[in-house]
Amino acid sequence: MKLRSTQSLSLLTLSGVLLLSACSSNNNDEAAGSSGSEAPSTASASASADSGAMDTTPITFSFFGADASPNWNNMQDEIGKVITEKTGVTINAEYDIASGGGENKIALMAASGQYPDIIFAKGELGKLVDAGAIIDLTDLIDKYAPNLKKLIGENTNRLKYSLDDQSIYSIPTNGGVDQQYFDATGGFEVQLRVLEELGYPEIKTVQDFENVLKEYVAKHPTTDGQPTIPLLLNADDWKSMITVTNPAFIATGAPDDGEYYVDPTTYEAKLHYKRPEEREYFKWLNHMYNEGLLDKDTFVQKDDQYQAKIASGRVLGLISQEWEYGNAENALKAAGKHEYTYGHFPVTLNDQYQDHELVSAGIDFSGISITTANKDPIRTIKFLDWLASDEGQVLLNWGIEGVHYNVENGKRVIPADVLDKKVNDNSNFMKTTGIGLYTTFSMHYGDGVQDSTGNYYTTNFPDQIIASYSDAEKAALKGYNATTWKDLWPSDLPVKEWGALYNMQAPTDGDYQVIYQKTQDIIRKSIPKAILAKPEEFDKTYDQFLADLDKAGAEKMESIYTGLVKNRVKLFTGKDIQ
Amino acid sequence: MSSKAFNLTRGERVFSIANYVVLTIIVIATVYPFLNVLAISFNDSVDTVRGGIYLWPREFTLENYETIFGYKSLLTGFKISILRTVIGTILGLLSASMLAYVLSRPDFRSRKFLSTFLALTMYFSGGMVPVYILFRDLNLLGTFAVYVLPGIVSAFNVFVIRSFMDGLPYALQESAKLDGANDFKIFYKIILPLCKPVLATIALFLAVGQWNSWFDTYLYNGNKPSLTTLQYELMKILDSTQQGSAMTNANDLANKMAQVSPESIKMAITIVVTVPILVVYPFLQRYFVGGMTLGAVKS
Repeated sequence: MKLRSTQSLSLLTLSGVLLLSACSSNNNDEAAGSSGSEAPSTASASASADSGAMDTTPITFSFFGADASPNWNNMQDEIGKVITEKTGVTINAEYDIASGGGENKIALMAASGQYPDIIFAKGELGKLVDAGAIIDLTDLIDKYAPNLKKLIGENTNRLKYSLDDQSIYSIPTNGGVDQQYFDATGGFEVQLRVLEELGYPEIKTVQDFENVLKEYVAKHPTTDGQPTIPLLLNADDWKSMITVTNPAFIATGAPDDGEYYVDPTTYEAKLHYKRPEEREYFKWLNHMYNEGLLDKDTFVQKDDQYQAKIASGRVLGLISQEWEYGNAENALKAAGKHEYTYGHFPVTLNDQYQDHELVSAGIDFSGISITTANKDPIRTIKFLDWLASDEGQVLLNWGIEGVHYNVENGKRVIPADVLDKKVNDNSNFMKTTGIGLYTTFSMHYGDGVQDSTGNYYTTNFPDQIIASYSDAEKAALKGYNATTWKDLWPSDLPVKEWGALYNMQAPTDGDYQVIYQKTQDIIRKSIPKAILAKPEEFDKTYDQFLADLDKAGAEKMESIYTGLVKNRVKLFTGKDIQ
Repeated sequence: MSSKAFNLTRGERVFSIANYVVLTIIVIATVYPFLNVLAISFNDSVDTVRGGIYLWPREFTLENYETIFGYKSLLTGFKISILRTVIGTILGLLSASMLAYVLSRPDFRSRKFLSTFLALTMYFSGGMVPVYILFRDLNLLGTFAVYVLPGIVSAFNVFVIRSFMDGLPYALQESAKLDGANDFKIFYKIILPLCKPVLATIALFLAVGQWNSWFDTYLYNGNKPSLTTLQYELMKILDSTQQGSAMTNANDLANKMAQVSPESIKMAITIVVTVPILVVYPFLQRYFVGGMTLGAVKS
């Protein structure tokens, strides 16, 4: 190595490093400088803002979202630019990656005191509240946020943190207020060609479901040269919760409260597997397996093998939610094989149960919080309020008038080419237009709520849904005298008093988490074992499973949880419960 | 060489065949996944869901690559990844070799103490939160320096280079001293050229480490899109199927699934992220062999 090249190499490296560190520290100074210089102007501006005019001096808020948002485009999308133009606000957003949850990053925040201005903390909010990082929003909402107040309505109790600390630490944004489901996308699924050939038979109980599959597979043992699969479930990791264990309580009339079942009169919580009805459900699955109707590879295959089997069109029945197998179904639709797609049925164990999937949990979801690092909480709450206004909600859901939708005779209509991109190339559509990227920033109405012009706030409403059905689906629905799959479901079920328990913060210290993990491991192992067992062994295996749960401390965990549920009901409804 | 084949005993021939078979299996097992990813990245995204793509794309398309090269953040990530790999490697090499030289000199008085001290750092670490707080206090958060400065001296690399230097005859240094060279000259003109094989190895470790790291971007530079790296961009669009410790719910999962990137886009980004380092590797190969025979000493 010649001396000259070594020297010049090290000189180059050194200067490169110095340059870069200088550049980055410049950026820091710029950022600090700009937010610093904002202070005097916003102080004067907020005085004028009180009089009602919207302050639009440029300001940047930093944000952290605990859920991944891979299509986030730094507000360079179409509606992002409009938001900045109308409110002056630019959001410098950071999202968690992959499965999200934000545990690592929020732990760092709590320990180091570095907080973003706004945060969507989901399950980790407790850590930040304990660190004193979140401000109480009660007064801010009361004084500066008329639109938020309208959305909250009478439900202020539900926004409070706990019985001991009745501050409002987050405004619920991860769901729609007064959400109505216009279509059922869960339940049990059967391929449309099966329904057509068998003359649209009644499918109300698991026995009906089984008979339909048995009859069809006897007539058509192969599909396109490959063996037909009557029933397929996805048991890959957490997806088994959706297809294997959750249907156990759905089919036996219980609503979705995560892994628990809460008695509506005593408010006692227990793991839902302990219900005798669910044993019967799993016994039915065991029966399906031993009859050869449940695919032999169910518990060893991975998610992409599951999707591939569905996309090949040879799976007659599924027990799942549409978003879970949606990709595979789209592949079928793209190939024009609409009769191989699926219809939905609210199947229950027997006719004494009703499917409670569509029960409303009321307002109970995680949302946006403002931290103590935020230099202008008043401006922030006004910004969130603007997003929650009618104008804001329409922008976030529908887009820009004339670009993403048109108003014809007073009704909002999405042009066909925009709808096509939205349905078929959703990822890119989100990235360029921004529709769907901003909904968790503020409170919003759910499907089915109409604004003062008689149009719906969201783009999911009956006419739209029916328009997106394929001809095969419409024909099948006609065979059942229904216009949407939801018509087959029971309606008018009461709102749950305890909200949705999967949103309730579970205690992070003490034995609770340890026992919870242990019981989850037992469930993951034992349920497949019970389903794959020989029919005469089923009861023994299931009894062993329940015994294992109690041995791992399930009863202690349940009593802790029951205490939390009772407190929650007290907080939400004001009832006094022992 | 071929004449040797005729003289192999039967035992040697059997071993030879078995050797070839095992090695071929290993090669196939290693190369196949990569070819699979390559094939899927060239395949149409809707068609990919049908599965069954092994070595050859069924519906060839360049659309996936077109789409991802349009992502501005990917281009920024490319620039930053290359910068940090080059700068991080050079800095790491220089500092590790300098420290190794000092520790290899027998006349260095604190040699034993420093070596033990350095070795201890290999086993203990502060943990995620204390390190984060340290970086915050040093104003390293949100800067490019956080990629290259912390861990600039890796104890493991120092020890590897030092062992190599210990193998070089001390006579070389003595004779250089007699000729009036100072320590720096000895280091640059005599020791370093002889260390080419080990330097190439360490350079490869450093380069691959820098190229592949995303966790530091995630922890320290997550809120700075201008400092993103290629791997972090890839991580952002890959969805993992692990369940968090909190109970997940159907509504949540549904929201997440709506944002899942198509499989073929994920594969395309994987290829884009892996290929540069793959390309660099063969060029470093020749340094492993060269430099072994330089400066022979008659001892």
